[in-house]
This record gives sequence, structure tokens and C-alpha cells, in this order.
Amino acid sequence: MPRRHVASPAVPDALIAVVVWMLALLAGASPAGAQTAADLFNPTVLHRVDLLMHSQDWEKLKQNFQENTYYPADLQWNGQTVRNSGVRSRGLGSRSGTKPGLRVDFDRYSTSQTFLGLKSMVLDNLTQDQSGVKESVTMRLFARLGVPAPRESFARLYVNNELIGLYAVVEAIDKDLLARVFGSIDGNVQNDGYLFEYNYLLGSPWRFDYLGSALDPYQARFDAKTKEDKSAADKWGPIEELVRLSNDTPASALAPMLEPRLDIAALVRYVAAQNFVAQNDGFLGYDGMNNFYFYRLEDSTRHVFIAWDEDNAFLSADFPLNTRHEENILMRKLMEASTWKAQYYSVLQEAADSAAQAEDGQAEGWLLAEMRRQLDLIGDAMREDPSKPYTNDEHAAARAALLDFPAPRISYVRCESARATGAALPAGCS
Amino acid sequence: MPKRTLILAVMAIVCLTTAGARAQDQAGQTGPANEAERGFGWRNERPSLIFGEDVYVSLRAKAVFDWRGFDPDLEEDTFDLNVARVGLKGELTRHFDFEIEREMDEDGVWQDWKDVYVNWDTFDLFQVRAGRYKLPFGLEQNLGRTEIDFIYRARISTQLTPARDKGVTVSGRDRGLGYEVGLFNTDGDIGKLTEPQFTPGAEDDLGPTFAARVTATVFRPFVGEDAALRSLRVGVAYTNGNLPEGLNSLRGETPYGYDYFEPVYVKGRRQRLGLEFDWTPGPFGVRGEWIQSREDRLGQGLGNRDLSDFLGTGWYVYGTWIVTGQDKDDNISMRRSVLHGGPGAIELALRYEQLSFGSASSEGLPERNPRAEHLFENRDRIWTAGVNWYVMPYVKVVTNAIHEDFEDPARTPLSGETSFWSGVLRLQIVF
Repeated sequence: MPRRHVASPAVPDALIAVVVWMLALLAGASPAGAQTAADLFNPTVLHRVDLLMHSQDWEKLKQNFQENTYYPADLQWNGQTVRNSGVRSRGLGSRSGTKPGLRVDFDRYSTSQTFLGLKSMVLDNLTQDQSGVKESVTMRLFARLGVPAPRESFARLYVNNELIGLYAVVEAIDKDLLARVFGSIDGNVQNDGYLFEYNYLLGSPWRFDYLGSALDPYQARFDAKTKEDKSAADKWGPIEELVRLSNDTPASALAPMLEPRLDIAALVRYVAAQNFVAQNDGFLGYDGMNNFYFYRLEDSTRHVFIAWDEDNAFLSADFPLNTRHEENILMRKLMEASTWKAQYYSVLQEAADSAAQAEDGQAEGWLLAEMRRQLDLIGDAMREDPSKPYTNDEHAAARAALLDFPAPRISYVRCESARATGAALPAGCS
Repeated sequence: MPKRTLILAVMAIVCLTTAGARAQDQAGQTGPANEAERGFGWRNERPSLIFGEDVYVSLRAKAVFDWRGFDPDLEEDTFDLNVARVGLKGELTRHFDFEIEREMDEDGVWQDWKDVYVNWDTFDLFQVRAGRYKLPFGLEQNLGRTEIDFIYRARISTQLTPARDKGVTVSGRDRGLGYEVGLFNTDGDIGKLTEPQFTPGAEDDLGPTFAARVTATVFRPFVGEDAALRSLRVGVAYTNGNLPEGLNSLRGETPYGYDYFEPVYVKGRRQRLGLEFDWTPGPFGVRGEWIQSREDRLGQGLGNRDLSDFLGTGWYVYGTWIVTGQDKDDNISMRRSVLHGGPGAIELALRYEQLSFGSASSEGLPERNPRAEHLFENRDRIWTAGVNWYVMPYVKVVTNAIHEDFEDPARTPLSGETSFWSGVLRLQIVF
């Protein structure tokens, strides 16, 4: 059978070019195509986030801001909409009926729903920090130092098209963050371990002293965020064991005993980083431990700390480097070991160096430059914020105070670290 | 001695005593009482005080004890004092009858009033009832809890009907055709507002509710007295009431109290439509109902936009067979009760039912959000098989095997599990 030849219609190159151009335009017109969680947490952009709620739900949320009741909302960001999210009031001391701190769960009403791959995020109301940037600067520094920490950016929040104010957009501590921060260990993505949020109990400060063999006191302090259906023994038994061994084991034998149960190096790094930023309400807080998440790695008995809520940082440039080491049983014992003590001061030196290091094209050190950049980014939005519980003058004063922190703190840490470790004093130490 | 044991003991003693007395006194009169019958005696098969020819007060009491098991385990109590009630029922001359009934809990503490009403019944075609009682909606709902053929009512009866409320009803009956039309204060006990979230003052805006029901024994004019089709009855019922704004819709609840469909935000009107069917030929019984509730959601969407109606739709159908041969009519004869050396009456029963909740709109992705346009439906399908043993007058033992199957795995009594078995053994003493 003779083969039949079919003539192909000639397609002008110009037509092809036009079609390709139109497709490119269409792709460019769809912001959904290119955007990721990294864009949402891009710290160099002041975002706009819109919540569409029922007017009565928003009023109820503000009236009942001490409750964790969820209300449905559509969230819009950068041209994208995620429908049927759940929004609730959040925070401890930062809870507000005027400018509520918010948690947004994208999977509240549909277990499979995500937004940019995220299941939830936090809108921090910045009510406890008149500068507005203490926490976000701290988290950026922590990330530079390798301390597990959430990503943050800033946004003007509108509810039903009404400006509520300036908020920090904070990455929720959840499985997505765990996978991002801890990655893969032995081929296993670290997103399915036991995650706990530390629950600060008012009037009951805790400094890692043993709470007894019953699990209830640990359950009260460590709020399970994953594997809620597991038994109490599975969830809190290893924490009780860790605390018991920390208390019962002599300092000289502590490290080998704890290593299988706690990433000590990561803890020392975390505490040193918190000290560098003069955080007065963290692991060694003024009223006991506070503001962290605790994660037991997947298929492991090892725990790590994750930074959270650092808006009380930058207390003073001369914040002592050994603040409350003696009060916390675990920290006291670790600092009795020369290895961990050296590690602690080494991280402090590293933090000081990192803070002082000028990035390309910058005349000042990274920490000061980052503070200035963030303060400039939010300046207009902060001044226009109709709900903030402080005046613009107070914000201006807080800005000035914050910018005065880096230089003396870097000097102080370098000098005092040298003194604590017996090293030669750097120039300029008195 | 626990109070529930005390209640059981008292009821058993009273029951055995009165059953024995009733066995000797076959009066059970319904006509005018003569001089000799006045004082304490029997009236309509209940212990009564008879004051005159047509004035009497009967004592009524109900105690229902359940023993339950679950697979998988739902951590529910094995024993449940389902109901304990005491009441009075009687006639005040030939023109009025009345009923008063109140419930008490397991600790002997008085709970809600149940029925409190008076009925003017001079004429069959035009009667007037006022007080607190069940709205004329729902065939099974309007039967007493101890008169139904299964341990638990069908879900449409407990979730979609209004049940009791304060109101006024006009009713009548003639040659197999009956009607009831009433106006009620709110929307019944099942439809009342109990949620913590609703607009302040909304409680006062619930109702009033209009209710109407028409029933007909459709073959009665065409068949003889003994024809099997004579008892076949069909009916239609409707309610319409105001529904205040809030998280106040009807909900889906299992027999054991788990909400498999929680309330959504509603505002506007709540309407119900019901169709019913009932037939009791000889020892057999066949019954079915279909009910749909429709609730407005005006301005309840995000941004205060209107949403499609919230719908609750369900039905059941069941059959019963008294294997010991008695007729399945209003009162199963107790002439062969254990007091007379017989087996009593033994009845087999099988029911299938389903009840679903969702939105009228099915556009877009379904959501569990209580303000979603397209609500994610959840449906409970239930098979119930049972044996009813009418032991002797006032005493009934019932056992039911119940299989529930849920459509949405995220909203079941045990997350991820969609099928559940339960078994219940009930002892009920009613006089």
C-alpha cells in the first residue's frame, strides 16, 4: 500500500513566537505559579495580608481573646487566596482584644489543605515590643548561628478590608518547619517525631529540677503538638527520664548519660545565642524556663530545643554572660564540665563575630545593619498602626535604644568571654 | 445502696404488686366509674384515684435501665439510667384530660418538666390542647420513649424533629382523617439554642414555630373491619419557625452523644417537612419516615454574604414480627404473660436508617468550616436488629445490636474509624 504523504501546513515562525510570548505573559500573570513559603517569609518585603471573616466572628474573637476558639476565614496574600482557614487568638502575655495575636490554621477545616506548603502560620501582634523587630532580628541571627528558629517577615494585616495594624508573619513550629530545619537524618526526613510546646505555668517557675516519677507535671509543662493519640508514657516518659537523669547524675558523668537523650551541643549553642541577644525570658528566663519548643527526633530518643517568642531580647548590652547558670540544674552541671563551658563561650564569641561582620557593601556590622534595615522597612507601617498599644514617640525611642545595642554588646561579649576562659583580652577591654 | 439500685428496687416492687393486683382486677375500665369503683382503683390499666363518674388521676412512672457494650471501645459507661420519670394523668370531667410528668436523674434530682398540658376534648372534630408537650411533627417522636420498637429512636426523630415546647394546638379526627395545627413558643427542645456562641439576646428570637400534621388511614373507607389494609396510615407534617443568628443549627448526633456533624451558623427560618407511613397487619408492623430540615443561612458567609441552605435529610424503615402471634396494635395483649405461665410476647425487629447533613449548594470544594457555602457532608447509616420481650404487664426487656457507619472518617466517635458496633440490653418498667 503506497504511503500517503500529507503536507504539513506551514506555521509561520512569527505566529509561534506570538503564542510563546502569550504563554509567557499568562505564566507571569499568575503569581500562584512562582510563589513559595520563602516568598511569604521574605524579610526584605513588607507584605499585605487580608483576612475575610464574618464581622461577628471578628468581634467575638476580640471580645473573647483569652479563648482559643477558632473562626473561619479566607486569607489573601499577594494575589493568592486560601479559603476556609481557621483563625484564633493566640499568645500568653501578648494576648489583646484590641490587636489580637492570631494563629491561622490552613488545615483546620480540611485536613489536607495547605498554603504554599504550610499548614499554619502565626500573625504576631508585636504588642510587647515597642521597636517591633526584636524577635525577627533575633530569629535571623539564630539562623545564622545554626539555632533552630522560625522564619519571619512583616505584614500589614487587614480584616474585612480594615487595617488592623503591623504584624510579624511567623512560621509555625510544625512538621513543615521540622523538615526544613532538621532535614534528613539517615535518610529519614525529620518531621514526624514528638513535638512539644513549652507551657509556662504562672506562679510555678521551673528550672529543670526533678518533678517526680508521675507524668502529670511534665504533661502540664510540655504540650504535645504531634502524636497526640500516643500514650502518656510514650509522650512524656522520655522527658521524665531526661529530667531525672539530669538531676541524679553527677556533673562529671552527665554528658555520656544525656547524649542519647539530648543534643547537648545544640542546647549549649541555643543558650549561648540567647545570652548574646540578652534574652531575659528564654531558657534561662527571669521566672524559670520559657518560650521554646522541644522536639524528640523521629525514631530517636534525642531531644532538641527550638527557639520561640524572642521579643524580650536586647535587654541590655552588659547582660552578664553567666546569667542564671547557677539557677538551672541542667545548665549548672553542664557549665561545670570544661568541654561544655568552652563550647558555650566559643558560641558567644562566634555570635559576636557574626554580629560584627559587615556584609558586602555595608559599612556597619551585620546585626546593626539588620536592625536598621528592619526598622526602616516597618517604619511607616508602625506609625500608621491604629491598634498598637504604644505611641509613635515610644516606638522612636525603642528604635534608638535598639540601634545602640550592637556595638557595646559585641565588645562586652568579647571581653567577658576572654575573661571567663582565661584568654587574652581583646583591645579595648577595660 | 446506690440510688439507681434503689430506683430499680422500688419500681420492681411496685410493678410486681400492681401487676398482680391488675391480674386479679380485670377492670381496666374506660367508661364512667360507678359508686363502688371510687377511691383507689384501676383506670385505663393504671393505679388511679377516682373521684367521681368522670374525674380521676392516674399515677404514671417510668424507669429504664440500660447495659451497653461497644466495639471498638468508646469509653462509655456500661450502665446507664436512661430515664426515670413520675407523672400524673387523668380526666377532669368528660371535657378535659391532662398530663403532668417530670424526669429525675441518676442521683434522684428533679430535672426538666416533660409533659404539662390540658386538653379540651368535647368534640372529636375540634379539640384544643395547651401547655407543654410534643409538637405535631414526627411519627416516632410522638410515641413515648417506652412505646417505640427499638431501644433508641431513629436519628431523624432525635435530631430533626422539634419534640416538646409550650404552645397551643387545635386537632380533630373523623373517619380516619386526622389533623393537628399548632403554634409554639420556640422550636422545641431539640431545636433550642444551647451553644456558647450566638448573638447576645438571640434566645428571645427563636420561634414562634408553626406546626401542622395531617394523617389518614387511606384504605379505611374502602375495606372491611378485618382487612389488613385498614390499619395502613400515611401522613405529612410541616413546621416553620424563626431562627436567630448564631451557631444554632440542628446537628448530627449518634445514639451515644457524639456530634458527627456540629452546628453551623444559621439565620432566617427553620423549616421541616416530614412524610410518614405506618402499617400493622396482624403480628407484623411496618413503619417508615422521611424528614428534611432546611435552615436559612442569611448573611452567614465570610464577609457576611448569604449562604445556601443547611439541610438535614434522613429516613428510616423497619419491620417487626411478633413471633408469639399477638396482634401488633396499640397494646400487645398480655394474656400469655409470665404471670399466667406463658412466654409473654416476643417480637423481632429490624431497622435501617440514615441521616445526613450538608448544604443545598454543592459548588466548589466541600469544607467542614461552619460558614462554608458547600458544606462537607457527613452521613450516619445505622442497622439495628432487636428482640423485644414483653415479659408481663409493665415490664419489657429489649436487646439491640447496632451497627453504625459514617461517611466522613474525620468526624466519627473514634478518629479514622468509620464502623462501630454496639449492643444494648434494656429493662424498662412502665406503668
